[in-house]
Amino acid sequence: MKVAYYSPLPPSRSGIADYSALLLPALRERVEVVVAEPGKRAPAADVALYHVGNDPDAHGWIVDALRKRPGVVVLHEYVLHHLIAGITIGRGDGRAYLDAMERELGVAGRLLGLGVLDNLLPLLWETQPERFPLAGTVLDRAHGLVVHSAYVGGRARAAGYAGRIWQIPHPAWPAAEIAPAGDVSGDPLVGCFGYLNMNKRIPELLEAFAAFRGSRPGARLLLVGAAGERFDVERRLERLGLTDGVQRLDYVPEERMWSLMAACDVLVNLRYPTMGETSGSVIRALSLGKALVVSDIGWFGELPDDAVLKVPVDEYEVQTLAAALELAAQHGPALGAAARAYVEREHALPAVADAYAAALESAAGSDAVDDAVLWRIAEAAAEVGIDDVAALARAARESGIVT
Amino acid sequence: MRVAVCAPQVPFVRGGAELMADDLVAALRTRGHEAELVTIPFKWYPGSRVLDQAFLWRLVDLAESDGRPIDRVIATKFPAYCVRHPHKVAWVLHQFRQAYDYDRTELGQFSESPADRATRRAVERLDGVALGEAQRVFATSRNVADRLERFNGIAAEVLPHPPQTLDYRSEEPEGFILSVNRLDRAKRIDLLIAAVKREPGLRVVITGEGPDRERLEGLAAGMNGRVEFAGRVGDAALADLYARCLAVYYAPLDEDFGMVPYEAFLAAKPVVTTVDAGGPLEVVHDRETGIVVAPEAVEIARACAYLVAHVDEAKAWGRAGLAIAERVTWDACVDALLS
Repeated sequence: MKVAYYSPLPPSRSGIADYSALLLPALRERVEVVVAEPGKRAPAADVALYHVGNDPDAHGWIVDALRKRPGVVVLHEYVLHHLIAGITIGRGDGRAYLDAMERELGVAGRLLGLGVLDNLLPLLWETQPERFPLAGTVLDRAHGLVVHSAYVGGRARAAGYAGRIWQIPHPAWPAAEIAPAGDVSGDPLVGCFGYLNMNKRIPELLEAFAAFRGSRPGARLLLVGAAGERFDVERRLERLGLTDGVQRLDYVPEERMWSLMAACDVLVNLRYPTMGETSGSVIRALSLGKALVVSDIGWFGELPDDAVLKVPVDEYEVQTLAAALELAAQHGPALGAAARAYVEREHALPAVADAYAAALESAAGSDAVDDAVLWRIAEAAAEVGIDDVAALARAARESGIVT
Repeated sequence: MRVAVCAPQVPFVRGGAELMADDLVAALRTRGHEAELVTIPFKWYPGSRVLDQAFLWRLVDLAESDGRPIDRVIATKFPAYCVRHPHKVAWVLHQFRQAYDYDRTELGQFSESPADRATRRAVERLDGVALGEAQRVFATSRNVADRLERFNGIAAEVLPHPPQTLDYRSEEPEGFILSVNRLDRAKRIDLLIAAVKREPGLRVVITGEGPDRERLEGLAAGMNGRVEFAGRVGDAALADLYARCLAVYYAPLDEDFGMVPYEAFLAAKPVVTTVDAGGPLEVVHDRETGIVVAPEAVEIARACAYLVAHVDEAKAWGRAGLAIAERVTWDACVDALLS
């Protein structure tokens, strides 16, 4: 069986490119895979697998291919407004954007879209994308969905998606001995990796860290990642008196990132609102056996309580976060061991690749198999006077015989 | 208690699984329960037909019979364990192995076509559903339990079953090696014949019938009667062969459970098997209860010749096997299945 594989790949700088670089070799051991390339003819295959994320530059061509041929979609995040805006308005096709808004919210959506096109409303994908996910364009063409969380699967179902959904864990990078970076230090050293913006709760993290540092003056915070536009990290650090307690690094290559993470005692990965995304950084942190603090939301909230510390996003977020940092600093080794055990148990690459192979094999052939089985059942039923084919199909589905 | 024992039936084929189901019904009745064997013919090919068969079991209503409730269902094999019942216990002899460890081997059934691959996955999914419904899942051997864990993530308790009831006894060995098995390729009786060819002092009696008989008889030609095909033998004749043999050869490929070693042990005879035999290795321990060798004729010839030359050791290993086999009783099985 042959799978056409659509995904950004390194050197593209995206989490999904890293994900595919990890998954592909393991998947190739289980099924025949041909990797599709942008601008080239779609490869012939029994089933196509489309990795869809929110970045139009990385994923626009993949959605184009999906439109031409339905297939299994790996929905890396549920909110796709930025992607849809990019492949509609970004290509000068405002009408398609209006269609997508109408698909989601009816006439009200179309009117909102008009407001955006006419510059009467702020850009919704920047200001409140979580309210208008625009996943429908993709769901309509998905023959099946791979999701990483019950949260995304649930949102797809709530949006009316009736196809098959496979929940497959984000694969973990194989454990390796990583030498901690020697040029960063703290007692303890707290690390936060990824794009720095409001959505990652950086202001809340800085406030909580300032409080935490009040009782632990040797603590340092390592912020690794580019800062978002209109997000002045330096000014915030000054205001909180944290200029000597925080070290900032811009984008770092993969190897350097691992060694920086390995040097940290505690890692923090917060979100609000969630777009339904997973986080490669979180998986890396768990693999390294680090004490980890996350927001209690979406996929992050589904991580086990004994493996991570979860901070609810509420009016006490800063205080809870400061307390969580203290707990993580005190119980780092125990938390880290539980984290590593969890990721080895649930996110092991071979098991993830097995689950992908199972999903793809089912997706490629199960329609034909279901049809054949249902046909024979219906034929036999008709011979004894039962002609309610829909009821038979329902019975077969409920009994687990067909999908 | 009213108990329905559910097992598939392959018309005109009778082997260990059928014996075990019959014996279970008898054991339940002996202990004062109302027990009945419920069976449906099983044909697993071509293509997705295997799913039709599973659907038949899903349609069977065993909640009650003749107005009286059925208290428990004990199902032994795919697709019988697809039956629905609030008090279902699965005692798994084996799954539909073509979808698992046989897949992509010469014993497999499914090609690389998308429909065949999807059918295989459907069997896998169905096993998850059907066995997931069971109140308890037992496996007849560690080998079967390991497969359930590896392929389906289902934890099963190991519960071996006693072999068929025969007049087991041990007599002075007459020097021949006995094979008790269905004659098909997976049982690897050809290795034993090749071993006899290599070792002039060996003599074997092969019981059983099966599709491989003609080929095996061809392989055994010209050996001056040192290989005897006894065909299907009755209970008394089989007990007699067990009693008189020197040792029993049993080397199927990755067998689920393997009743034959228990039968051999109950006659206090050692077993010659191979390192890849699967279930039998749970009781056949090298130079304790038999000999375990590589699946090669030369190794099997050497093992059998050793036993011919060391009869006292053969007897001692047989007695050690007897102690193991005597611990597996129907009382223990029935208690576990109905608890």
